[in-house]
Amino acid sequence: MSTVLSVEKLSTFFRTDKGIAKAVENVSFSVDKGEMLGLIGESGCGKTTVAQSILRLIEYPGKVVAGSVYLNGKNLLKATDSELTGLRWREISVIPQSAMNALNPVYTVGDQIIEAILLHDNVNKKEAVERTKRLLELVGIDGERWKSYPHEFSGGMKQRVAIAMALACNPKLVISDESTTGLDVLTQAQVIALIKNLQKKMNLSVILISHDLPMVTSICDRIAIMYAGNLVEWASTKEILNDARHPYSKALLNATPDLSNSEREVISIPGSVPSLVNIPTCCRFHTRCPYAFDRCRQETPEFMEIKPGHYVACFLEEEQNG
Amino acid sequence: MGKFVAGKFLQYVIVIILMVTLNFLLPRVMPGNPLVFLAGEDVGFMSSAEKEAILEKHGLNDSIVQQYGTYLKNIFTGEFGFSYQQKRPIIELLKERLPWTILLSGLGLVLSTIIGVLFGTISAWKRGTKTDVNLLTMFMFLSAMPSFWVGMILVSVFSVQLGWLPVFGAESAWSNLKGMDRFIDIVKHLILPLTTLVLISVTSTFMIMRYSMLNVLGEDYIMIAKAKGVKEKVIRYKHAMRNALLPVATVFMLSLGFTLGGATVIETVFAYPGVGRLMFESVLSRDYPLIQATFLIITFSVVIANFLADLIYPFLDPKVGRHNG
Repeated sequence: MSTVLSVEKLSTFFRTDKGIAKAVENVSFSVDKGEMLGLIGESGCGKTTVAQSILRLIEYPGKVVAGSVYLNGKNLLKATDSELTGLRWREISVIPQSAMNALNPVYTVGDQIIEAILLHDNVNKKEAVERTKRLLELVGIDGERWKSYPHEFSGGMKQRVAIAMALACNPKLVISDESTTGLDVLTQAQVIALIKNLQKKMNLSVILISHDLPMVTSICDRIAIMYAGNLVEWASTKEILNDARHPYSKALLNATPDLSNSEREVISIPGSVPSLVNIPTCCRFHTRCPYAFDRCRQETPEFMEIKPGHYVACFLEEEQNG
Repeated sequence: MGKFVAGKFLQYVIVIILMVTLNFLLPRVMPGNPLVFLAGEDVGFMSSAEKEAILEKHGLNDSIVQQYGTYLKNIFTGEFGFSYQQKRPIIELLKERLPWTILLSGLGLVLSTIIGVLFGTISAWKRGTKTDVNLLTMFMFLSAMPSFWVGMILVSVFSVQLGWLPVFGAESAWSNLKGMDRFIDIVKHLILPLTTLVLISVTSTFMIMRYSMLNVLGEDYIMIAKAKGVKEKVIRYKHAMRNALLPVATVFMLSLGFTLGGATVIETVFAYPGVGRLMFESVLSRDYPLIQATFLIITFSVVIANFLADLIYPFLDPKVGRHNG
């Protein structure tokens, strides 16, 4: 399988009044063609910053300070503005966090989808309208409603419109950034099923950003787990479920209720996420890790491949393997 | 749409009826002699026959219902009564003063809105940069200056020291200028009061626009527009400014209603013959019929501006009204 996106040692910092916040540091992963990657972690761990770094949407006081992002072999972080305009939405698009606000309230949903089509594809207005109608039908909305304003749709429908918009220019990669936030559970399930369905149909690559571990494990091919700005583990869903290595991944799995096994106790993770401002060199999970030892407090563990396709950043692995 | 307009219209008709009725009742429930109200303090020197004549002339010997009927009829025919201080019918005074007020206050409102919106947009777009900080400081400084002071400084510099512009009035008296010459004369007289008005009122629009724009720029749809590859200028004006303008439009409409009331302080400093100064003069000389008439004009224009706002707003914000498309 060919790699569509590869992120290498990406670091994005924010300047704050108190110092430098290392929101994302040394993050590496990749997405294959037609693959769905789940990027998970608790709120504030840097998932959205990763997405925005890939999309080149980081703005002052934030800055991508190191690393590279290759989309089909082209380094996005070094692309010029005009190259970037050409890549946007044709190659990579996004369904934003709480897609409820993804639509501009003063324009019709059709206008907003058509805007993207006319920007990137050499078609006339009439063809763009036709395509917009087809896209809306694709996500289960009556095509004739392209003339409606966002407030005339329900939350779930707005979500679908945002998905239709993300697909407007046949992108290779779609980043879905917690796009089911704010929807009720049933609608969430429908929207996720829709994304999965379209991904298969169009052989899309998708990065699904979420904090909902059971949902991610049920539909993603691979999973990358983030903690406090670092990637701690990255492996196939099966590996994560059966052989999670990082203490945080294990704790996360233990903290999730299991419907098929009600006997199992749900264990919360004690402590809280450290502040990312002026964070010293260390394993960022050491304050909450039951296995932490001296080295964890002084050095940052490397993100390394412990078996084919399974990456972990933990000193325990190094110790075990000598 | 027709139904929407008709419904709104009916609401405002009711408001106007209430307002006019209040205006009718107020002087009648106020303590004191109605003669003083109608003829001023001179009433003490009148003979009883003269007093009786005044009461008769104004229909004050009729029943209250009859009086109300006459009052309504008078309003519809533009008969606002007589200003005893200026010894002229009020409608004539208003006809004379209103154009100047519309010129000064109307133009002032439009200009300060345009300038405030432009700089507010730039300031928000460049948030935290030197440009933003400088603009903010400048506009805060402007808003802190009292209007009469700004007016006097401008007069002393541009009229007295430099002699470029006239000191007061709306046009040169007894000059009998015609056509283009008169136009230039009016513009020359307008520059200083207009500048003062814009300087002191521009900050509120600037602040509202800047804040509103900052809010909009944080919205997801702006991020999406960037991710879509929309050009920066198009994002700024089509996506962000269009949304950020909504609160400014509301404030504009509200201020529009008050423009007919004139800019009292500035009109006084520049001896500009607008409604604001007329009102000021009428209050000073306790010219009650005139006060009542100017208040009525202001309330009418506020109601009309609100009605206009109701009609226009659905086109600005699709979330509002326009139920039948």
